[in-house]
This record gives sequence, structure tokens and C-alpha cells, in this order.
Amino acid sequence: MIRFNNVTKIYDNITALRNVSFQINKGEFTFVTGPSGAGKSTLLRLIYLAEKPDEGSIGIARWDTETLKEASIPYLRRNIGIVFQDFKLLGNRTVYDNIAIALRIRGYNEKEIKERVHDALKMVNLRHKVGNFPVALSGGEQQRVTIARAIVGEPTVLLADEPTGNLDPDNAAGIMNILREINAKGTTIVVATHNRELFRNTGLRVFRLDNGNLVAEEKG
Amino acid sequence: MYPVRLAVKSLWFDRWINILTVLTIGTGLFILGMIMLILFNIEGVTRRLPERFSITVFLSDDLSDSAGKRLTSRIEREPVVKKAIYISREEALEELRTSLKDAAYILEGLNENPLFPSIEIRLNRDRFDAGRVGRLIEEIRGIKGVEDVVYGEDLLGAIHNLSRGFKTVSGGLVVLFSVAIVFVCYSTVKILFYRRKEEIEIFKLLGATKGFIRLPFLIEGSILGLLSGILGGVGIFALYRAVSGLAASELPFLGFMYFPVEIILFLPAGGLILGVIGSSIAMGRLRY
Repeated sequence: MIRFNNVTKIYDNITALRNVSFQINKGEFTFVTGPSGAGKSTLLRLIYLAEKPDEGSIGIARWDTETLKEASIPYLRRNIGIVFQDFKLLGNRTVYDNIAIALRIRGYNEKEIKERVHDALKMVNLRHKVGNFPVALSGGEQQRVTIARAIVGEPTVLLADEPTGNLDPDNAAGIMNILREINAKGTTIVVATHNRELFRNTGLRVFRLDNGNLVAEEKG
Repeated sequence: MYPVRLAVKSLWFDRWINILTVLTIGTGLFILGMIMLILFNIEGVTRRLPERFSITVFLSDDLSDSAGKRLTSRIEREPVVKKAIYISREEALEELRTSLKDAAYILEGLNENPLFPSIEIRLNRDRFDAGRVGRLIEEIRGIKGVEDVVYGEDLLGAIHNLSRGFKTVSGGLVVLFSVAIVFVCYSTVKILFYRRKEEIEIFKLLGATKGFIRLPFLIEGSILGLLSGILGGVGIFALYRAVSGLAASELPFLGFMYFPVEIILFLPAGGLILGVIGSSIAMGRLRY
């Protein structure tokens, strides 16, 4: 599903990722961990093509960065749901509109959008907040809206960058439960986190990064 | 429908800056319309002028009528000539007698006809060109049997030079105002674009195509241009009504003014096109 072949990414003479290779299978739930600055976020940004590798190649489903044209990037991204640590919600739109935009971009009609948004909100247990603006929601609720927006288009891959970074342990556990539910439906999930508690005793694959190098691949 | 909704929502959200933009562009288009109105009127006057001017070619008195008529036919074939009429010495005398009316008795003492045969040339207003008329006159002057050519070329030439000069200046002004309008539209859309930069970044990450991102801005630019054009058109029409009302009552010399309806259609269409151009430039090249 996701293939990294000797990928190197350099920012202004600083190597963020060095010669990284791995493969994540379809439907797998994996973690990327490491200390701050290890290259976790860079790795995710390379998957959703916010960055291009300086060396090596990345394959996501049927796409490959070596042959992918710029015009195809939006279509690749529609197959990837992204959960950001800082939520990236639109402050001037309601919860409904924040989630619906992901479908409007895909050209769905309003009737279908309504049904899908309500299903996504049900999944993250936020149907009662449908008309609220992000500012009226707690951090955990905002993160759940972000997850709803990420899954509403039924992507094949879900990327979560420190999804529990700003949340208390209860909210963090709630978010992880939602991600497990999404994974159970067949979505490939990659979570970047420095919080070992999230993958301890899960038996899931964990990629450990340190200073841009993939130093270990272990079971959580 | 969603891009239209997004554009209208954004226009309403930033309504003050947009009202100011419409007023600014509307004023520009109003001035543009005024220039066009003046240009239309000058063009109308200069196009009507050739009909009122005629060229008279005096032929030598020993030229036969048949030779005079051949020359007339030759002149009539020229594209700038609408009609050429041969006037024989006898016809000329008859015309003179008619025009003198009661004073015609002064011609009675004449033993022979002192008048020359002539050709009267009417110019074609649709193909009028001062340069070509000048060349034709020079050509006619060189023909054997032609004594003289009388023509108000100095006045007509001056009017046409004035008209050409005004057209050049107007052309420059039209370009200048068009650029200014594009720039105002560009600035407004650029501001709107920067205000929504974060939103655009999120749209990109969610898989929005460039078309999806650009369309609302293009719609905003075209709505701004269209509204400005309508405003400018209404302004021009109001001014025309006021001036023509004044002309009818106090300034009859302005009675020749006419108002081409095309201006009313041109200003909104022109505003729309300039708005689209301005907003397209403002968005520049989107990168993922």
C-alpha cells in the first residue's frame, strides 16, 4: 500500500530523512515513533506529497512519486485522510461544513453529503455538535471533527500526525479507539507519535526514527 | 453551485472592500464609456462630412463632351468616389442662369459661353480616407485637359487629423484605464486570496483541484467587474439623459449627439472580462 524506497529528504542542508525504506501493507495499522525532530512529520508529509523526496521514490497504492504529475496530486490526496495535530479546521465554518468540504471537493451532491457527514459524525460521536463552530468545541472534540473530515471520503489510507498530542489521556484513548474502529473497516492507518503508551502491547508494527534514520522496526 | 455560493459568501463577508472596488472600477468604466461616447460622436460627424464636401474638376474649354464624359466615368471608378457628374459648358450656363434668377439678364450681353465644362465629384463616406482623396486629386490634376481642381481639402484634412489624433489619445486612455481596472481587480482578489490562504492550504490537503480553488475567485472577480460595468453604464446613460435634456431645451447645438446602445452592453461585458483577467493574474500559479 505504501512503499518507501531509499527515500532521502533534505531541508537547507539538514537531512530530515536519510535513505529510508519500508513497506506498509493494505489494511495495516502502524506507528511511526521517535523523538522530536526525528523525521516523523516529514515522513507523513512525504506520503501526502506536501513534500517531494530528494532521493528515492515513494509508492502509494497505484501512484509513484517518480512518475506522478502535479495535476494528479489532488486525486492521490482524496485517497488519503489526514488528521493533524493542530486540527486545521476552518474557524468560520460549522462542524457540518468543515466535514462537508471534503466531499464538496470530490463533487458529491448535497443529499449525499448530508448522509455521509452524519454517518461520519456518528462514528466520532459528535452528532449533537453538528451546528457548532470549532471555537465552541474542546480539543478532543476538535480532533474528532478532524477525524470525521478525514474519513468522510472513505480514503484507503489515514495518516495521523500526533493525533493525541494536545489531548488528555481519556480523550487520547477515545481517539485511539475511533482509529481502531476505522482500521477494522479496512483503512490503512499510519500514526506518527512520540507517545509510547499509544502502541505499547498492541502487537502492531512500529517504525522507530532517530535523527532522520529508520533505526528499528518492532512490534508494539 | 458550491463555487458560486462560496464566491457570493466571500463577497458579502468582505462587502466594504468590495463596494469600494465596485465604485473604483465603476468610475474607471464610466470614464472609459465617456471616451467611447465622445469617440462615437466625433466618428459620426467625420463620417458625415465627406457627403457635404464635393470636388469640382474644371476642364479646358476645348475638351469635347465625349472626352469629358470618358474622364467622368474613369473618375467614378475610384473607390473613394460615390458619384461623378459631368457638367457641360451649356449645362453650367443653364445652372448659372437658374441660380441668378432675376439677375439673369446680366448674361444676355454675352456673345459666347465663358464657362468651362466641369466634373462634380461626390465622395463615398464609407470609404473616406483623406490620404487617398489627396492622391486622387493629384492624379486628376495631372490628367491632360484638366485646368483646375477645387476642393476644401485643408478643412476636411484638418478635421480628419483632429479625429485621428483624438482616436490615438483615446486609444491610449482606453489601454491606460483598462490596465488600471485590471490592477484594482487584481489587488482586491489578491487581498481576498491572502485572507483565505489558510483555507486554500486546507483545501489543497483535502484534495481540491486547482479549478476548485480558483473558480470562486474568478467568479468574485467577474461579479465585481460586472457590477462595476453596470454602475458605469447606468452613470453614462444618466449623463447622456441629462445632457440631451439640456440640449433640447437650452443647447440645441448639442442636438446632433447620439447614444450608441452598444455602450450599455459593452461596459458590463468589458468589466466582466477585465475582472476575470485581474483575478486570474492575482491567483498566479498554484502549487501543491
